[in-house]
Amino acid sequence: METLKNALDFSDFPRLDLTLAASVAVFLLVFPFFSHSSFAMSTLIQFLIFSLYGMGWNTIGGYGGQVDLGKAQYLGIGAYTTSVMLLRWDTPFWISMPIGILFSVTWSFIIGYPLFKLKGHYFAIATIATSLVLKDLFEVWELVGGSRGIEILAGKYQTPDFVHLIFKGDDYYYYVILIFFFIGILFMNAFRKSRLGFQLRSIKDNEDIARSLGINVHWAKIKTYAVATAFVSAVGSFHACYVKNIEPEDTMSLDISILIALMAMLGGAGSLWGPIIGAAVLVPLKSYLKEWLGAQAGMVGIDLIIYGAIIMIISAAEPRGIWGMVEKARRRKRN
Amino acid sequence: MALLEVTNLTKRFGGLTANDAVSFEVTKGELLGLIGPNGAGKTTLFNCIAGLHPIDAGTVHFQEQNITRLASHEIARLGLARTFQIMVASGDLNVLENIMVGCFLHTGSRMKAKAEAEQILKDMELSDLGGYLVSELPVAAQKRVAMATALGTRPKLLLLDEVAAGLNPSEIEGITAIIQRIHTEMGITVMLIEHVMEMVMNLSQRVVVLDYGRKIAEGDPKLVVKDPNVIKAYLGERYAKEHL
Repeated sequence: METLKNALDFSDFPRLDLTLAASVAVFLLVFPFFSHSSFAMSTLIQFLIFSLYGMGWNTIGGYGGQVDLGKAQYLGIGAYTTSVMLLRWDTPFWISMPIGILFSVTWSFIIGYPLFKLKGHYFAIATIATSLVLKDLFEVWELVGGSRGIEILAGKYQTPDFVHLIFKGDDYYYYVILIFFFIGILFMNAFRKSRLGFQLRSIKDNEDIARSLGINVHWAKIKTYAVATAFVSAVGSFHACYVKNIEPEDTMSLDISILIALMAMLGGAGSLWGPIIGAAVLVPLKSYLKEWLGAQAGMVGIDLIIYGAIIMIISAAEPRGIWGMVEKARRRKRN
Repeated sequence: MALLEVTNLTKRFGGLTANDAVSFEVTKGELLGLIGPNGAGKTTLFNCIAGLHPIDAGTVHFQEQNITRLASHEIARLGLARTFQIMVASGDLNVLENIMVGCFLHTGSRMKAKAEAEQILKDMELSDLGGYLVSELPVAAQKRVAMATALGTRPKLLLLDEVAAGLNPSEIEGITAIIQRIHTEMGITVMLIEHVMEMVMNLSQRVVVLDYGRKIAEGDPKLVVKDPNVIKAYLGERYAKEHL
């Protein structure tokens, strides 16, 4: 009951933030009714998807300060579970998504236990490694299509199909992911006020002090890692239905993992709005770079150069990202 | 009744023996001082008791339960809290939220944790500072925040590690009064490491003296400071010979 109240209570934010957030929410709700290009629509869907990945990452990476660069493996587990179950048994999305979460969370516990014995850079590198190993396994696993991946045959479903989440146009997908997005914000709002949220922030600050306050640091990290995983896996399942054709290379690659972390860090790790701001900046940039620059000869890979530059600038100038700058300015004004 | 019972505790770091077969007891309800020159092994002893370092030999019993091999968070849950000399708080938790972390040990409810933390803020005379980051506060207030955070866990025994270091005389007076209040009004057993002798003499009912990791004296503070071994430890052998 109190959790629900916490989720709905945004009163600790200044009025300006809430007005802005409400305007963005209204814009997102009415956007499909206005004339728009399909490019704008797909960019917005990507924005919502990556915001959600970023929110998931933000639990362990932002509030907990554990830089996780292996989130793509859970995206893959979610996407593959939904695709395979749909192809083989015609399983509804609303069943395959929770099963995907179950698989992902189980896997996260198995690798989380040893991973969280590591700290700092070693932890980050180990998350990359586990993700890449899983990707390689999927590439040679013929049962799920190997490196060719699998394709959802949408033709046999009567669209719009809300049970299997198969639609023709982008509008339906847009509203489904928008609902996920709002639920995600409410969840994160409750999370940051929860006991686990407080414990994580204390762990990020100083693990010895956290332990002296009775916090089981290792277990708190594993639990949060599972929460982050569930987020990514659920959206991964959606991603599978949306793109209808998944392969290890584009669902589980290192690029995706880094992009997820980068968006949250750019926007502001450890804040409610950070991942959303980060996605709002980087997703359009990514689409733009891919559409225009990527098509020109010799420009392939320029997006990676730009991401690299952004990482360096954030870590040097303001580790807490755009939102960190806003908060700093406000604090200065208040004092 | 002994609340804490340390028996032959030995801790080595490589070739250095930081604590050498130290034994002492803390009785329920008392205020015990732990003194000794720099490098005597006082903080190491705290860390060993609180489970931060694994110990090489000896046992620690808390409320007649053997806690020698327990992890530090398990020890904290039993009611043994401690402060750190350096309250590193570069994070984004403000003072109130820091105290809430401790309070969350007993409740999953944010509202209850917040109410309890606000009460502690009041008791520690920090009410006006709840919204600040710890790094924004002066040292004296930081020390009080460190104590307040530990109090959130509702300890039975509180270990204070140099809470008066770096404070001016009037601030020391203030913190002495607060420790007294924690001890008498809240009924918490306190053990403190302190270099400010005035404060140790005023507060402690009993003191334990460490030198080079060994316990060299124990007892009434007024008698202990006259003990030749203690004077030797603090002032050096030659000075002691010439002046005693």
